[in-house]
Amino acid sequence: MSGVVVDGLTKRYGSVTALEDVSFEVPAGEFAIILGVSGSGKSTLLRCLAGLTDPTAGEVVIDGEPVVGPRPEVAMIFQQHNIIGDLSAYGNALTGGMSRSGFFESVLGLQNEEEKYRALDALDTVGLLEESEQKARRMSGGQQQRVGIARALVQRPAVLLADEPVASLDPGSSQTVMRYLRTAANERELTAFISLHQVNIARKFGERFIGLQGGRKVFDGYREELTVDAVDDIYGDIDTEGMFLDGGRPAETEVAR
Amino acid sequence: MSRSPDDDARRDGDDTRRVDDPVGSQSATSTDGGRTASEPTRDPRLVEQLDHIHRIRRRRTIAGASLVAVIGFVFVQGLSATGFLDEEFQWEFFNESLRNYFPMRELPPFLDVGVYVSYIRSENLLYDPEIGGLLFRWPPQLYTFFFEELGIFAIFGEAGITLAMGVVGTILGFPLALLFGVLGSERVTPFPFNFLFRGTMSFIRSIPALVWTLIFIPLAGLGPAAATLAIAVDTIGNLGRLFVDELEEIADGPIEAMETTGASGSQTVVFGMLTQVRSSFIAWTLYILEINVRIAVTVGVYGAGGLGQVVEVQQGLLRWANVMATLLCIFLLIITVELFSQRLRARLRADEVMGWRELIFGFPRRMAESVTK
Repeated sequence: MSGVVVDGLTKRYGSVTALEDVSFEVPAGEFAIILGVSGSGKSTLLRCLAGLTDPTAGEVVIDGEPVVGPRPEVAMIFQQHNIIGDLSAYGNALTGGMSRSGFFESVLGLQNEEEKYRALDALDTVGLLEESEQKARRMSGGQQQRVGIARALVQRPAVLLADEPVASLDPGSSQTVMRYLRTAANERELTAFISLHQVNIARKFGERFIGLQGGRKVFDGYREELTVDAVDDIYGDIDTEGMFLDGGRPAETEVAR
Repeated sequence: MSRSPDDDARRDGDDTRRVDDPVGSQSATSTDGGRTASEPTRDPRLVEQLDHIHRIRRRRTIAGASLVAVIGFVFVQGLSATGFLDEEFQWEFFNESLRNYFPMRELPPFLDVGVYVSYIRSENLLYDPEIGGLLFRWPPQLYTFFFEELGIFAIFGEAGITLAMGVVGTILGFPLALLFGVLGSERVTPFPFNFLFRGTMSFIRSIPALVWTLIFIPLAGLGPAAATLAIAVDTIGNLGRLFVDELEEIADGPIEAMETTGASGSQTVVFGMLTQVRSSFIAWTLYILEINVRIAVTVGVYGAGGLGQVVEVQQGLLRWANVMATLLCIFLLIITVELFSQRLRARLRADEVMGWRELIFGFPRRMAESVTK
C-alpha cells in the first residue's frame, strides 16, 4: 500500500507542453481514473509515474520516495499490450517477476515454485488459466491485454498504472478487462491509475477521477462530484449526453438529479 | 502555362464560363441563361492543377534522363579503367577452351556424362564408399559410423569437407556475432562506445575470408582448419552487422515493459529485445550459412581442401572434364544447402508450424501438389 503524491509536475517536449504544473495526492488503495481527450497529457502523466519519462519540473513521490526510474513496485500496463509475442501467456506472466530472479534463472526458466504458481495464479485472476500455454502472438487483443495485466500482477506491485488499457478493444472486451483490473486492485489492495477516454466505462468502474485538458488538471474529485458539467470541463464543448445514458446503472441515477 | 491560353481560346466559342476565370474573362463571359454547354466547362482550379502535374512530370522526365546519362558516363569511364575498351578478345581461343569442359562421345555425338560420373566416383567427390559402407551393410554399424568415424560429413567425401567448413564456421562465428551485434546496437551500448564493436566488425568485413585464411595458415597450416577459422571470423563481421541492423528496427514497447518490471539490463536485452528478433536472427544465420558454404568453395581453390581444391588441382593438370565434373558437384552442394535453408526459413516465417512427421511423410504429396498446380 503506497500513497502517490504528484507535485507541480511539468513536462515539455521542445516547445510543446505535455503537462503543466499538475499536482494531486492519491491515498494508498484508491482506484483512480485519469480522464481526458487524446493529447491531453494522460500518457505523459502515467509515464512520469512509471519512471519511464523524466519530468521537466516537479516530482512524483511514491511511498515517500521520489521516482527517478522504473521501480519493481510500480507496474505498468500499456495500450499496445507490449507483451512478448514469442512467449506463451505463462512465459509472459513470469517476466513480471524478473526483478526477483537472476539472469540465468529467468532466461532458462528456472524460477522457484512460488514464482511459477504466482504466474499461474495471476493468469487465473484474469481468466486465462486454460490458455496459459498459448503463444501470446496468437491471442486476441483482449486476451493479450489480460496477459499484460497478469504480468503486472506477478510483479506484485504496490502501484498499478494502466495507459488506456481498453482503447483498442471492443466494448465487451473493454468491460471484461476493466472488471479484471478492478477486481485485482481490490483483492491485492493496489493503488491504481487507469487512463481512459470513455466516460461511461470510467464512471462504471472509477472511484477517484482526475481530469486533464491540454496538460492541465481541470478536475479532481470522487464519483459524486463527476457531474455533466465536470465532464464538459474535461472534454470541452462536445455532446456528452450519450456517454452518460449508456453508462453503468449507478452513473445514470446520479446524473438524473 | 504556355499552352493553356490557346486551348481555352479554341474551346471558348459558346462555352459557359465562370466569371473569375483569369484567361476566359475577356474573351467570352456570356452565359446563355444557364444552358448547359455541349463541351464540358473547365474549372480553372482543375486546369491549374493539371498544368502543375504536367510540369512536375516534365521535370521528373528530365531528371530521369539525366540520371541515365550520368550512369552511362560513369559506365564508360569504368570500362576504360577495367581495360575493356582496348582489350582484344580472343573469342576463338575461348570457344576452344570451353569445348574442353564437355567431353563428347564419338557415336552418337553426345555429351559423355560417363566421364564426369566416373571421375566423381573415383575421387569420392560426393560420396565416400568406405564410410558409407558402414551404414549400408547388414547389420549397419551405426556406432562406428557416428562415434568412431564421426562420419556424417565424411560420408559425402570432398563435398562433405566443404559443407563442414561452412557449417562449423557458422556455428563458431554465431555466438561472437550475436555478442558483437548486440553490443554494437545503440540501444544497448551508448553512442560513442557502440562504435567500438561496430568498428571491429567493419574491420573484419574489410578483410576478405580468403585473406583471413592466409592469416590463419601459421596457426593451423594450409587446410580446412585454417579455412574454417577464417569463415568463423568472417561470420562475426557479416552476421554481426545484420544483427545490428535488425536490432535498429525493433519496437520500444516491449523494452519499456521489461524496464517497468524492474528487470536488469541483461534481462531487458534478452526478453525485451532478442525475443523480438529471434526468428529473423535464425533466418539471417541460415542465409550466412549459405554464403559460408560458397566461401568454403572459394578458399578451397587456394588449397584449403574440399571441392574448391579439387577444382584448382585439376585445372592445374589441364583436366578440364574433371574440372567440369567438380563444378557440377559444387552446384549440387550449393543448391542443396540453399533449398534446405530456404525451406527452413519459410517454415520459420510461417505462423502455422508443421509437425516433423508431416514435414517428412507429407513431402511427396506437397511435391506432387506444387508440380500439378
